[in-house]
Amino acid sequence: MALWSEERPSEDFYRVLAPDGTLVGDPPDLDDDELRELYWTMKLTRAFEDKALRMQRSGEVSIISRCRGEEATPLGAAAALSPGDWCFPLYRQRSGLVYWGVPLDRQLANLMGAEPETIDDHLPLDDATEPPVNFSPGYVPLGANLPNTVGSALTDKLNDRDTVSLTFVGDGSTSQGDFHDALNFAGVFEVPAVFICQNNQWAISVPAHRQTASETFAEKSDAYGVPNERVDGNDIFAVYEKATEAVERARNGEGPTFVECVTYRIVEHNTADEPSVYRDEEQREYWLERDPIDRYEAYLLAEGVLTDEDIDAMEDEISEEVASAVAAARDVPESAPHRMFDNHLRGESWNESHQRAELERELDGKNPFVDWTGEGFE
Amino acid sequence: MSDAQVTGETTERNLVETINETLAAEMRTDDTVRLLGYDIGPIGGVYRTTEGLIDEFGDERVIDTPLSENGILGTAVGMAMRGERVVPEIQFMGFFYPAFGQFMYTLVKMRERSGGAVDVPLTVRMVCGGGVKSSEYHSESTESYLVHTPGVRVVYPSGPREAKGLLAASIRHDDPVVFMEHKKLYRTHREPVPDEEYTLPLDRARVAREGEDVTVVTWGAMVREAEQAADAVDADVEILDLRTLSPLDIETVLDSVKKTGRCVVFHEARRTLGLGAELTAVVNEYAFDRLLAPVQRATGYDVHFPGNQIEGEYLPDAQRAKYAIEAVMGYEF
Repeated sequence: MALWSEERPSEDFYRVLAPDGTLVGDPPDLDDDELRELYWTMKLTRAFEDKALRMQRSGEVSIISRCRGEEATPLGAAAALSPGDWCFPLYRQRSGLVYWGVPLDRQLANLMGAEPETIDDHLPLDDATEPPVNFSPGYVPLGANLPNTVGSALTDKLNDRDTVSLTFVGDGSTSQGDFHDALNFAGVFEVPAVFICQNNQWAISVPAHRQTASETFAEKSDAYGVPNERVDGNDIFAVYEKATEAVERARNGEGPTFVECVTYRIVEHNTADEPSVYRDEEQREYWLERDPIDRYEAYLLAEGVLTDEDIDAMEDEISEEVASAVAAARDVPESAPHRMFDNHLRGESWNESHQRAELERELDGKNPFVDWTGEGFE
Repeated sequence: MSDAQVTGETTERNLVETINETLAAEMRTDDTVRLLGYDIGPIGGVYRTTEGLIDEFGDERVIDTPLSENGILGTAVGMAMRGERVVPEIQFMGFFYPAFGQFMYTLVKMRERSGGAVDVPLTVRMVCGGGVKSSEYHSESTESYLVHTPGVRVVYPSGPREAKGLLAASIRHDDPVVFMEHKKLYRTHREPVPDEEYTLPLDRARVAREGEDVTVVTWGAMVREAEQAADAVDADVEILDLRTLSPLDIETVLDSVKKTGRCVVFHEARRTLGLGAELTAVVNEYAFDRLLAPVQRATGYDVHFPGNQIEGEYLPDAQRAKYAIEAVMGYEF
């Protein structure tokens, strides 16, 4: 069976924390609580997604795309934002969502296929649970989020607000027209946007070298007059620092930035995927040695920010938090079928009211097709 | 117009002037209304619908963009998600297709996917239609692609008077709207347009002419052709101007067809899966036993829009409508 060859990306990038957890640059100015929060977030994200994977295997979750091994990139980027900012994620940025408190039970209910209205009814957001950063719905058609991010940022610029809009693009989705439209518009209008390229080197089964002949993804933004950075995406400090600089540039009216974060998809694309079909899984060893959590943990232990006992205690807390989210998500009842009609257009058109009535009749075991006049069933 | 409560002074206006003045009026009353598109700034639009607006409102309200429909639509959706009532312009419907990704992925689905949390209150001005000796890519009427998609209103005025109320209502509406502007209507026709501000509903057809013998369901530039046909046939013709193609005002269509017992659907777009197919099916499903003749479609042919020497033979007109009316009037079981 033919397998793809892989080309290891150049490690000529910005790095603060080496794979063994030693510093090779200046760490960001974060206090111990902030350092521990970053660690907690990566661990919680991984535990949550692993639980969701097991729930997928048992049939409770339909599909999940994990960010395992990539947690530092969305986390470092999202952590650079401030309350009131906007974030436009895809589906592999969960650590960023977790950092800002997008409730795990709502995320899980979504993975379990509940309609958004059902989730709102049973796990409503309130002042305490509303994330302080605004998250758009996650985008599945990759790249579609990018022009929307530009529009969001343009709105803030035109209204003289210092809000920042941040978004993500994969290595694969830089091939989409949306990517080029967005970078081009962002450059022309000098919008306060930050583009994070989460280069995990695989677009399902197609490797990064099949996406572009460019040497790096970072350099793509040169053509649009958008400055770029290229960082070790498994180094939480490097991502956080360059994302923070980009967010500050945007907030100061200096325009957009593109940050390529080099990471690796060490797991399946999603639960419908089997990577051994198309790639040599021995490559994983190389990348497992560069795991973002392991290296950060080694650093925190060496610095005395964390102890082994702290980690044990955290893991217990994380297990409880995941278990409580699972319980809450399981308590969300099955969505009522008529929810499919909700939130399309305002008001109820003739077609909508007739089709709602047809569905109700069908659910009642009655023939829905006996309204010969269009005046209703009675 | 059947639902006009508008009275008072009127001024003769064509469609270009009406669009221009309505955009300006909405921009004066709502600072979040911004125009986005290419060639809408100093040149004032290739059809001059935005003429002078950049002078009054500045380049942060009338925003010339790079030449990319997908970029325009995607940016506009992002602005709308943040509460701006953006009015992006698609210069020609034939150039809309690169933007179909943003249309399908974000514009029509954002509200539904977010459980109603995120609105996209934009109005896409879509310049469409043939009959002005333009190129084939500048003459398309492919509204079926839009109407097939839930989550967006599709509005199609038949003249200046309708356009004023429908455009104001579209811009103010919290749902996304595609507002179709038939370019042949821009300058060929003037009519009295009420001076006062008014809106028209975005889900109701207009009975453009009452009659007892046959219902002609039509919209856009075909309404005036239908009126000429009605004048020329020996039948009492009722003409429905749909005005909003999505959601469809099926109640008005059924009421009319049940009264007359005959129906012609008359549209410029291609026939196969054109809106006439849907309307015919609805009449068949809900008014079958009132029909005195099969529903007849008079439409464009199933071809790509032809070159301008023969576009007149493609385009439905009063003569084609007249033939269709005569056919259903002459039908015998």
